[in-house]
Amino acid sequence: MTSLPEPVAHLVAALGRLPGIGPRSAERLALHLVQADPGQVRQLAESLVSARERVTHCERCGALTETQPCAVCGDDRRDAALLCVVERPLDILSLEKSGTFRGRYHSLGGKLSPLNGVGPEDLRIAELERRVPSESVKEVILALSSDVEGDATGHYLAKRLAAFGVRVSRIAQGLPAGSGLEFADELTLSRALEGRRELS
Amino acid sequence: MHLARLRLRDFRNYLRLDAEFVPGFHVLLGDNAQGKTNILEAIYLLATLRSFRGVGGTQMIRHDAKGYFVGATVVGAAPAEIKAYWSPRERKLSLNGNPVKRLADYLGTLRAVVFCTEDLQLVKGTSRVRRRFLDLLLSQTQPGYLTLLLRYTQALRNRNALLKQPQPDAEQLASFTAQLVSLGEQLMAARRTFTPKLSPLVRLAFRRIAADADELILEYQPSVAGDFAVALANSRARERVLKTTVIGPHRDELGMLVNGQPAGQFTSEGQKRTLALALKMAQAEYLTGIHGAPPVLLIDDVMGELDARRRAGLLPLLNQARRAGGQVFMTCTAENWPAELGREFVRWQVQGGTLAAV
Ligand SMILES: Nc1ncnc2c1ncn2[C@@H]1O[C@H](COP(=O)(O)OP(=O)(O)OP(=O)(O)O)[C@@H](O)[C@H]1O
Ligand SMILES: [Mg+2]
Ligand SMILES: [Zn+2]
Repeated sequence: MTSLPEPVAHLVAALGRLPGIGPRSAERLALHLVQADPGQVRQLAESLVSARERVTHCERCGALTETQPCAVCGDDRRDAALLCVVERPLDILSLEKSGTFRGRYHSLGGKLSPLNGVGPEDLRIAELERRVPSESVKEVILALSSDVEGDATGHYLAKRLAAFGVRVSRIAQGLPAGSGLEFADELTLSRALEGRRELS
Repeated sequence: MHLARLRLRDFRNYLRLDAEFVPGFHVLLGDNAQGKTNILEAIYLLATLRSFRGVGGTQMIRHDAKGYFVGATVVGAAPAEIKAYWSPRERKLSLNGNPVKRLADYLGTLRAVVFCTEDLQLVKGTSRVRRRFLDLLLSQTQPGYLTLLLRYTQALRNRNALLKQPQPDAEQLASFTAQLVSLGEQLMAARRTFTPKLSPLVRLAFRRIAADADELILEYQPSVAGDFAVALANSRARERVLKTTVIGPHRDELGMLVNGQPAGQFTSEGQKRTLALALKMAQAEYLTGIHGAPPVLLIDDVMGELDARRRAGLLPLLNQARRAGGQVFMTCTAENWPAELGREFVRWQVQGGTLAAV
């Protein structure tokens, strides 16, 4: 049996490191690419590089952005008193699509998970604690996943934020259990945002 | 509910099997190692997507084959066509031609209760075996219980991971403790209300099979006395030493008392077998009560281990399930053929991976 030419094998290995791509898909994609129109492949390579180079995390909220700060953080018409805390930048996109939230965001970059070795120091909690007083936040809305880790993270944040005298509420109900925010449709999200309840 | 048709391809020692079953009592007769239990395993697999022998999918693939296929027609409230294919590379499950996306949409299509020699562990084994029995039955009958159990387990694993750290952060521990307590209280409440509903069913089945005056009581024995949060706080010193959560629903016990004595320690071998059977009969009866139709009963090798009196006590219970429109599959060898069986049954011969009506 002859093996794949070396450049193809390299490409298979590189593609296989992407999330959700197994060895078989990696091979299929690689074989497609090496036989595709060279112009198209160049375009793909260029958009990969340029996307990676132009997109960064917003230094303030953690969202994906081309500018510093991001469009939401830079928009004075947004209600600075209202801060919505999410796990990942992707969650900000989902909430923005629902179009009902008028405040600003803060992405933690994950959730507490001792099982996966994620502790408070691995999340953007210190940044959150700086933002609350400096941006005069009055209410923090926690939009975390409704699994055990999400709930524990909410509990933990509510305690830490208590020192700042802000109102802390949670919008977990209405979201499908165990899934991240990206699975919730827009309707569920707008309903969840209306029905937020205060954390004691 | 009954299994009307079973198809096997490359499953265990079956290259190919196509069989049709009427409702009622089926006896699978054959020498040792011919494939009797394998058929029960396939039926149970359709009901639960697991082997009751506690093995993974690979072991069920016929030697040298790529994957197994198990298909069935189930006649119940709505007829269902099930197709399951499993190989190390690929798993497919479809119901009436549609791929199954969520397990919850599938489970319940076929309900089965298996009786096998390992059931003795329900009496002899550790509390883990009995908790599993309780959890399985609650998951099959109470919406939300399985989710609760999975969440509790997740909270527990996270909390234990924290306790293993050299200096667990107190605030973080408190956050996972809060989850553990709230989920644990709900689990305990569900088990506490459920046990008294099951107890009379087990007690009745036990008396019928044993045909004597032994008194059986089933009782829920939670590992936590009183308030879970308070008890956890009181156990902190032990947790620090053992680096794990030492109390909670994961340490609960389903207590079984025969004439006031713990069953595991004081009963004879025969009584233990009777008790294990009674637990399974009660499970089947409870499922019948909840769903309005009896589950398919799969009985593997248990007859041979009972004395004549207990066999005579068990058979009417099985016949009862059959009369209710259900189905019973029982394996036996020529040597342990129960003479009490009577005539009303379908007899099958199992030989070297083939099944033939006799
Ligand atoms: N993956 C497999 N591929 C092929 N044959 C298998 C496989 N797994 C088990 N077998 C065969 O199946 C047979 C055992 O079948 P089974 O356990 O159903 O026997 P049985 O009829 O119930 O016997 P007993 O009366 O001893 O309980 C054995 O011959 C075994 O070699
Ligand atoms: Mg067998
Ligand atoms: Zn921003």
